Amino acid sequence: MSTASRVATKVGEVPFLDKDDASLLLVLPGLFVFAAFMLFPVLYLVGISFTNARPANLFAGETALDVLTFGQAEFVGLQNYVSTLSDPAFWNSFGVTWLFVATSVTAKITFSIGVALVVTNERVRGKRFMRSLIILPMGLPAIFTVTVWRGIFSSAEFGLANQILRELGFDSVAWLSQRWMSFLSYNVTEMWLAYPFMVIITVSALQDVPKELHEAAMVDGAGYFSRFLHVTLPSIKRPVLFASILTAAASFQAFLIPFVFNQGGPARSNELLVVYGYREAFTFSQYGEGAAISLLAVLFIGAFMWLNVKKGKLADGVSDS
Amino acid sequence: MSLVRGVVDKLAEDARTVAYTPVEVGRDAVYTARSVARGETSPTEPLKSVGATLGALVVVTLLLFPVYWILMSALSGTGGSIYSSGGLHLLPQDPSLKPFLWVVGDLIVPAYAITVNVPFTNLAVVFNTPELVFLDASAYGVDNPSEFKSFFWNSLTVSIPTVIIAMCLIIPASYALSRREFIFRRKVLFTYVLLTQVGGGLGIALLIGLYAVYVQVGLNNSKLALAVYYAATAVPFNTWLLKTYMDGIPTSYEEAAVVDGAPPWRVVTEVILPLSAAGLATVFIFTFLTGWTEFVVAQTLLGTENYTLPVGLYSLVDEYSIPWARFSAFALVFASPLMLVYLFAQRYIEGGLSFSGMEG
Repeated sequence: MSTASRVATKVGEVPFLDKDDASLLLVLPGLFVFAAFMLFPVLYLVGISFTNARPANLFAGETALDVLTFGQAEFVGLQNYVSTLSDPAFWNSFGVTWLFVATSVTAKITFSIGVALVVTNERVRGKRFMRSLIILPMGLPAIFTVTVWRGIFSSAEFGLANQILRELGFDSVAWLSQRWMSFLSYNVTEMWLAYPFMVIITVSALQDVPKELHEAAMVDGAGYFSRFLHVTLPSIKRPVLFASILTAAASFQAFLIPFVFNQGGPARSNELLVVYGYREAFTFSQYGEGAAISLLAVLFIGAFMWLNVKKGKLADGVSDS
Repeated sequence: MSLVRGVVDKLAEDARTVAYTPVEVGRDAVYTARSVARGETSPTEPLKSVGATLGALVVVTLLLFPVYWILMSALSGTGGSIYSSGGLHLLPQDPSLKPFLWVVGDLIVPAYAITVNVPFTNLAVVFNTPELVFLDASAYGVDNPSEFKSFFWNSLTVSIPTVIIAMCLIIPASYALSRREFIFRRKVLFTYVLLTQVGGGLGIALLIGLYAVYVQVGLNNSKLALAVYYAATAVPFNTWLLKTYMDGIPTSYEEAAVVDGAPPWRVVTEVILPLSAAGLATVFIFTFLTGWTEFVVAQTLLGTENYTLPVGLYSLVDEYSIPWARFSAFALVFASPLMLVYLFAQRYIEGGLSFSGMEG
């Protein structure tokens, strides 16, 4: 046995704790805290969803131990789920959520590919500088971006969207008090929120497209658009698909935009699923139903992600780590 | 301090690039002009390039216009209208820094009287510290300044415990996952990576459960409890990130240290930790930002007196009585330091997240 490999076994064997498995102790604190603060609330959420919990009975207990009996809330079986699934408001929220996923993901992908094509075009000078400029918004906190965009769509005098409309000679629009106008404003904001991430991924995918393919297509007399369709798109498909799956999950869970813009209004018509559950619990004090809705939302997103992970093979990197 | 030196070096490099850019562009233009004059290049080619560049500049301008607009609103005395009877205004009208003064408010350290009793006597020595006035907002006509300072303090007292707790949980775990073989290792890793993909948005859905538990145990409105929650949510992603970083450190360094007779703990403190400084810095920034920028949970759990900066920002947009210029100034003071941190950390973050495709 050579010295090097003997040392290597020594490093692998002893250093810290006697037995190899004792190293698990280093991982356990993190796992434990994570479980206590994420897993326990999940179990609790499941529990609440089977009770008629409201602030009046849920927080009625005298001691902290009442946490285990859900205060004085009563077990009502599947009633919350039945009433949720038979509520047209839930199905409205469900539909709007998927519609939002569809429209916002389409918008995000087309917009980002467009921007990425512009900043990788070989005729454009100073591409690198432009690229670092346009991904700057990634460093802004989401709450900043969303509140600023709420100001843009505000009906007050400073509202930027209306100022531009007036400048172009149109009438101003009450963005946040009309259903589809608010929906449109959600989409625009989500697009701006997500574009730096999408552009980064698309640009690096575009840079990996082999030059030879383009040259060969040019020799064959293909124009810009047919080259884009038949050379560029197939080459960047996989990374862009990967980014779209992640960004679709983000769209599905969109909370900040509807909540900050107009609480999912007007008249609860644009409450995306997560906002719907949150408002049901905290605004209308129906903790039981809110919990049921949130769990259904988690189930949907879980199934959606699972399908995508299976289809898109996202977990490939894990198996060999 | 090699990390700091690295950052400084890269900044200097950036500055040099920026300084040389006009020269390069000029040379380029002269070269192209000569080549056109000699008839080697067709004159439409450079025109096409100029057109494409101008088009790209328009796209970049449009994309960043919201940021420019908010900066302009904060500086303008009129409250952020670019539109007026005279047409569009792209520069602030009667610029003033008053909105920023309103955000920051007074910076005054009040005078204290410190009394020290001299032992065994009846004598006492009294020190009067002078009142330190850094900034007196009312002197500039700003009464009733914002609560920025109290929000700032609350954010700080949430974020610092978050970082400390998270670091204590993350560093040992990522070391073990990177360097040791033990039971359930692959299972733990797989769980963490899976949670990294789905984790974020689950928080809001689980909020009802979290809120109910916290209220019953009496932990709502406690900043420390919030910090522990943030640390817990930060664990999977950051552990995985730091573990990936540590994987990149060659084991031969550790072998050399062992050969030299270093005990195991010194291998960790003198080899692994210094070598993963950049990774540690990234994780530090990420965990700090978790506490600094999170909105929904803080808004639900904390009472008015404990509002952190994001919740404070939201409470401003909720009120129609706040002039837009003041809101903009508040938002900028909140966000611009984060932007700077991001600029500094960008290279490291991109290196850590495996999509570093931004080189020209």
